[in-house]
Amino acid sequence: MFPSSVTAATVICPQGCFLPDVSKLHKIFNLQKPALLLGLALFSAPALAISHISIEAAKVDAPQGELRNARFDLNLKTSAVNLKSQYRPSSEQEWTDASLNCAKLLNPKKGSWQCDSGKLAAGMTSLPFSLRLNTQTLKGMQQFDAQLTVQKASFSDAAGLHAGENVNAKLNLKAGQLKQGWNWQFDLDWSGGEVFWQPFYIALNHSRPGSHQLQGKGTFNEQLIKVEEARLTLLDVGSADASAEIWRSGTRIRNMQVTTGTVDLETLYPLILKPLLEKTALSNLEIAGTGDLKLSMRDGEIKTAHLKLQQVDLEDKNGRFALYKLNTDLPWDYDQARPVRLAYEGGHMLKLPLGKTDIKAALNRFSLTAQEIDLPLLDGGLNLRDISAVWVDKGWHWHLRAEVVPISMTDLSHALSWPAMQGKVSASIPLVTYSQGVLITEGDLRFKLFDGTIDVSKLTMRTPLGIAPRLNADIHMRNLDLGTLTRTFSFGAIEGKLDGDVNNLRLANWKPVNFDAAFYSSPGKYPKKISQRAVENISSLGGASAAAAIQRSFLRFFDQFNYAKLGISCKLRGDYCAMDGIESTGDAYVIVKGSGVPSITVLGYNRNVSWGELLERLKRVTAGNSKPIIE
Amino acid sequence: MNRLFLSAIFALSFFFMQPAAMAADIEINTPAISAIKNSMQARHNQLAPHYTSGAVGLTRDGLIAVRDAKAVPLKDRQSVNTLVAAENKDRNALYKEIAVANQNPQWESDIRNTFAQRWVEKAKAGWWYQTASGWVQK
Repeated sequence: MFPSSVTAATVICPQGCFLPDVSKLHKIFNLQKPALLLGLALFSAPALAISHISIEAAKVDAPQGELRNARFDLNLKTSAVNLKSQYRPSSEQEWTDASLNCAKLLNPKKGSWQCDSGKLAAGMTSLPFSLRLNTQTLKGMQQFDAQLTVQKASFSDAAGLHAGENVNAKLNLKAGQLKQGWNWQFDLDWSGGEVFWQPFYIALNHSRPGSHQLQGKGTFNEQLIKVEEARLTLLDVGSADASAEIWRSGTRIRNMQVTTGTVDLETLYPLILKPLLEKTALSNLEIAGTGDLKLSMRDGEIKTAHLKLQQVDLEDKNGRFALYKLNTDLPWDYDQARPVRLAYEGGHMLKLPLGKTDIKAALNRFSLTAQEIDLPLLDGGLNLRDISAVWVDKGWHWHLRAEVVPISMTDLSHALSWPAMQGKVSASIPLVTYSQGVLITEGDLRFKLFDGTIDVSKLTMRTPLGIAPRLNADIHMRNLDLGTLTRTFSFGAIEGKLDGDVNNLRLANWKPVNFDAAFYSSPGKYPKKISQRAVENISSLGGASAAAAIQRSFLRFFDQFNYAKLGISCKLRGDYCAMDGIESTGDAYVIVKGSGVPSITVLGYNRNVSWGELLERLKRVTAGNSKPIIE
Repeated sequence: MNRLFLSAIFALSFFFMQPAAMAADIEINTPAISAIKNSMQARHNQLAPHYTSGAVGLTRDGLIAVRDAKAVPLKDRQSVNTLVAAENKDRNALYKEIAVANQNPQWESDIRNTFAQRWVEKAKAGWWYQTASGWVQK
C-alpha cells in the first residue's frame, strides 16, 4: 500500500518538478508506517489536472526529537509549499507548533531550487528567508551550493538566554561529497540586528554601516570535523584566525590554533571581555589600547598561549585602580617555564599613585615566581622579594617578603586625603602569605610618625576585597609627639609624649568591633603642658557639662596648665567601650593628673560609653576646633 | 491548688522559654551585616522593576533567580544576570554573617529558610516566588 501511493504521486507531478523520494523517507526518519497517510486531493476535475498534493504524517521519530500531526501541502498552481507540524525536541516535554512555508517554490532547472519569500516559524522563532539551492552530481559525487538570506529574523530559546531580534544575515554554504565524508565552505555576513548569546550581547548599529563576518572551510567525515581555516571579523574590533580538528563524538577538540590580529581593546572589552570577566576585579573597566593573542589547544587542553598588550590604559570605573601605558608580554606553555614581563608608566591603587614599573617573572604552568618586584609608590615604594604564587583550586595562593621603602607621610596623607602628617612610613615584613582569602603577615609594619614609632604586628586580613573584609592586628605606639599629634588633628594643644597599645584589634568591614586600647604619657622627662582648649575637649568627650565647669571657675584665666601624666583606655566590645584612666578616684577615673602651678586634673565619670557616640563627639571636637571660635 | 497550678505554669513557661531564648536573632547587627545590607539596599532599585515584570523571582532557598529572561530587552539581559549573581553573593554572605554573629555558624541554613519566608511575605503583589510545585505569582 505504502509504495504504490507514492508511485501515484510521482506520476501526477508536472515535468521537471521534484517530489522527495518517499521510499527513502523511512530511512531518514523512523516513520511509523501505519500512521503515514498519503493523501492526494483532486480538487479540479478530470484527467491530469491535479492542483494540490498533501501528505500527512501522524508521528515521525528522529534521534533529535519527534514530529506529530505533520502536514505537507503543495499547491501546483501557485507553487506554494507549506509544511506544518508540531515538534518536540528530545530534551523537552512540551509540543511546539512549527511551520515552514514558501509562497513560490521555483525549480528553474533540474537540481536547482529557489524560494524568494519563505518563512520558518516555530515557537519564538520567526525566520523570513530567501533561499537558492543548487545541487548537482559530478562524477558520482553530490555537490550543494546554497545561499540563504534572512531578513528581520527573530529567535529565542525557551529560557531567552540565546536570542536574536531583527537579524539580517547572509549565508553562503557549499558542500561537496568526497570519497570519505564531505568538504565544506561557508561565508556568513551578519549586517543587522541584535543577538544575546549568554553572556554575550552583540548588536549592529544602524548608524554605523558594516557587518560582522565569519568564514571557514574544511572537511568532515564520520569521526572528525576539520576546520582548515576560519576567520572571524568583528566590526571595529579586529579579526581572529583559527584552524581546528574536532572529534564529532562529544565535540572534543583534538587540536586548535587561534591567532588574533591586533585587536582594539576599547571595542572588544564591552563586547567580549566584560561578560567573561564579570566575577573579577576587571569587570567594570574603561580601557583603551591594543592587544593580540595566540592560543593552541590539544586534546581539549590549552597547551600554549601568548598574550601581548600594547600601550593599554585601563581605569576601574569604581575608582579602585588604574594603570597607564601598560605593556605586557605573557607567554605561557604547559610544558615549560616561560619568562613574562609586565610594565606600566603609572597608575593608582586605592588613591595611591603608582610609579613607573617593570616586572619580570617566570610562569611555569600554574605557578609564578619572581626574585624581586619593585613597585614605586610616591617618593618610596614597595619592594617585594622571593615571590611565589600558585593557581590551585580556582584560586591564587602566594607568599612573599615585603619591604616598604620609606614613604613620606606628607605625600601619603595628602594622597589619602588624611590630615596633613609629617614623618615617614617604612616596614619590613619577613613573610606575607595569602591563601583562600586570608592574608597573614609575620613581622612588623613600622610607621615612623609624629617623631615616634607605630608598629603594626600580627596583621591578618580575610577577604580584603570581599563584601565583609576582616582585619586583625596589634598596634604599639611609642614616643609620639603630642604637640604634632594634636596640631594634626586640631584637638587643642598638648605638649608631651604619648605611648599607646591597641591589642586584639578586630575590624569588620574596616570598622572596629573589638580592641583593648590604652594611651598614656611616655616614660621619661620632657615638658608636659596642656592647653585649656585641650582640657575642654577631653572633658567634652565625657559629656557636655564638664567643659562648662571650667568656664565658670577661676581656671578660665589660664591658657595652659602643667600635668604630671595623662592616660585613657578603652576596651571595645561590640558597640560599647569600657573606659578607664591612669588611676581611679571613687566612682571616677583620672584622665589628666595635674602638677605644679597652675595644675589641672581631668576626671572621667562615664565608664561605659557607646563607641558610635564617642566617635561623634570626637568628630565634633576636631571639627569645632578647625573653625575659629568667636566669643 | 490555684497556687500549685500557677507555679506549674511558671515552671512550664520557663521550660519552654529556654529554646526561645536560644533562637537566632536575625535582626542582629554588626559592621559586616550592615555593609551587606547597604549593598543589597543599593541594588534593590535596580532589581525592583525585574521583580515586577516577572523576569526575576524569589527562590525557595532565600536567593533570587532569573525566571523569565524574555521579559527583559536583549541588551539588558546580561546585566540582569549580573545583578542576580551579585545579589545572591550578598544574600549568601548575609545568612552566614548572621549565623556567625549569633555565634552559631551551623544555624546558617535555618536562617536562610527564615529569610526565604520573609522575602516572600515582604514581596509586593505581582512578584513571583518559587514553591515546591513551581513558580507562583503573589
